[in-house]
Amino acid sequence: MDENIRFLHDGPLSPIKRWGAKWSLWPVHLVTACCGVELAHAYACGYDGERLGSLNYGIARQTNLIIVEGAITRKMARVLKITWEQMPDPKFVIVMGACGLNGGLFWNGYNMVRPSDVVPVDYFIPGCPPTPEALLRAIRALQDKIMSGRADSTARFEKVDLRDLVQMPETPKLKRAPTPPLKITKAPPIKVDIPREVDWDGDEILSLINDKIGNYATGITVTGRGRIHARIPLERWRETASALSANFDHVRSVNVIDVPHEEKFIVEYTLSSYTDRTLTGVLLTIFTEVPREDPVIESLADIWPSADYMEREMYEFFGVWFDGNDWMGRKFLLAPDTPDYPLRKDFEVNKESYVIGRERR
Amino acid sequence: MAVSGTSRQKQTDEVMELTLVNTVFQIFSSNMMDIPVIKPLVDVLMTVPIVKYLVALILWKPFFAVILVPGLTGLMLSLLFIIWFERKLTARIQWRMGPLEISRSIGGILQPLADGMRYFFQEIIIHKEAHRPYFVQFPILAFIPVLLPVLFIPAGTVYAIRTPYALPVIVSLISMIPVVIMAIGWASNSRLAFIGTVREAFMYFGYEIPFIIAVLAMAVLYGTSDLYLIVEKQRVWGIALNPISALVFLITMAMATSRLPFEIAEADQEIAFGPFVEYSGILFGLTMTLAYEKMYILGLLFSVLFLGGGSGPPLPFLGDLTPVIWLYIKAVIIMCIMAFLRAVYPRYRIDQALRLGWTYLAGLAVVSVVIAGLISAGGLLP
Repeated sequence: MDENIRFLHDGPLSPIKRWGAKWSLWPVHLVTACCGVELAHAYACGYDGERLGSLNYGIARQTNLIIVEGAITRKMARVLKITWEQMPDPKFVIVMGACGLNGGLFWNGYNMVRPSDVVPVDYFIPGCPPTPEALLRAIRALQDKIMSGRADSTARFEKVDLRDLVQMPETPKLKRAPTPPLKITKAPPIKVDIPREVDWDGDEILSLINDKIGNYATGITVTGRGRIHARIPLERWRETASALSANFDHVRSVNVIDVPHEEKFIVEYTLSSYTDRTLTGVLLTIFTEVPREDPVIESLADIWPSADYMEREMYEFFGVWFDGNDWMGRKFLLAPDTPDYPLRKDFEVNKESYVIGRERR
Repeated sequence: MAVSGTSRQKQTDEVMELTLVNTVFQIFSSNMMDIPVIKPLVDVLMTVPIVKYLVALILWKPFFAVILVPGLTGLMLSLLFIIWFERKLTARIQWRMGPLEISRSIGGILQPLADGMRYFFQEIIIHKEAHRPYFVQFPILAFIPVLLPVLFIPAGTVYAIRTPYALPVIVSLISMIPVVIMAIGWASNSRLAFIGTVREAFMYFGYEIPFIIAVLAMAVLYGTSDLYLIVEKQRVWGIALNPISALVFLITMAMATSRLPFEIAEADQEIAFGPFVEYSGILFGLTMTLAYEKMYILGLLFSVLFLGGGSGPPLPFLGDLTPVIWLYIKAVIIMCIMAFLRAVYPRYRIDQALRLGWTYLAGLAVVSVVIAGLISAGGLLP
């Protein structure tokens, strides 16, 4: 019995306390995902959760129940904790959906937190998403828990002896599986600029690009209609960018590919132009290779300001240091306590552990 | 000598006590409720030595008016009813059932009681930034301006105080409630409470002036501000004599009690109950019911000014209770109309509500004064 339930069971006024709490479970809903739709459904005209005396309230101070709807990320975990701390005792928590249960769709994600690690949970509702009936059933179950003080599972399974139903064959003799041949394929080389024959008369544009960066690039390849890849050595990176800055006015995307077996990162900047009409349909990708040991590359955010945010994001995910960007070394999009560089191939997610074969009573 | 002197002293003391008790009893029993149904019972009880004082006190008209109906008990009953009715009505309009399972046989009417019990036993959080003494005091202090107007509202001959200044006193007491709400917001010391407080102040100036002018129009029309006389003069209900004043009164009442088209100060979707955002437990219960209590008082005032107060078809065997019951029923019907507004209207922006208050309502209120002046000058009333 946790302290909230114990408070309701203590003292001579206990029946009134329990009666009040039972019929007045006002949820403050913490919508982080699609389960919020199901909650809306459960309280709308079809199912009408208000029948049970449960009224949706947006404000933490005046409610006594949190319904966690969906996945809790590291950032939302803080919000969940703050909401929980704001609420007056006695208070309860219901967690909806598979994501809150054990990650669900985002299982094993580097940014996932289980709500049960943050707040004490009274009831879980499995499902993706759970139906409105299931939510109302959880509220009913919580009401029963308040009255009786026992947390019972609402699912009851009939025990069946399988031997009565089907004729079990004799256990066959154990056979050994054949040993597989040990053949490990070498990891294939990662190639970004694979040339393609396309029906596109981009000769003018190609020659323009050749004029600009022909001296620096070690290869300019057409990879699709209006798609050009240019391989740049790391030493000529900045000169290339300043040569292109007159024609290409913004960076569409910054991308990093982790290639651990070749000990390198491939860093791509995809450029395009809003102002030059001949270049609006063209995506020029300049890419270079950075050693994995010491991944430092010059930032191009001062040449193309739109690269700034994406460089920060790539730093958070891969740890590639964009020299010259002020935000290096700090978290920008991820929660501050996220482990470093979660998208590197050798990043290890914390393994979950299960206890099997021992039921908790 | 000394002994007999003290005993004589004692005797005179006893006599004086007895005469004091008797005078008080005389005061009580001379002004008692006359209810034919329970008259035999009362007559029997009045012969029992100590119980008779209690019975005389309870049936003493001022006590009855203030503590029972239309005073405290009536207020509490109407609160429990109107909160349930509002939730139920909203639910029915949205094709739902509303609170039901708590007591299926009587339509879940116990729901507000359960909510109240839950609030009562919940923790009261006083956050670090709050001005502690004021934060705790104000929800309780707010009851003073809410409850005092009941003293002046007559239900037939059942009233506590009769004075020619009843109307101004009631209006000024009601005008004090927003001041308390602003004080609550200030003591909460939170940004949402601050926004709510400022909105409340804006709304206060938006509705208070048309409201006072509309009440003034009725005082002009009846030629007095003694509520007892006002009820007596209403051969025809005031709402028929001056419908514009009644309309302005109703709309400003919706603004004053933050009903939904004007629920701007408390907008829970935007600023999370504004001035009351930091309250929890029973203190929030007190602050939340503040608007409903104000609605009850304004409903009583509306019934007295426009709906003939306690007048109505005589109920047999109820005697003095008849006007009390009629007044109570009228006030509750007005509250139900206000509850209906919540279910059907969206919310105004503050500038729209203020424009309404300062232009249309103020103009209509002035028109109602003109109408009242014409009627009273024309001598249409006795």
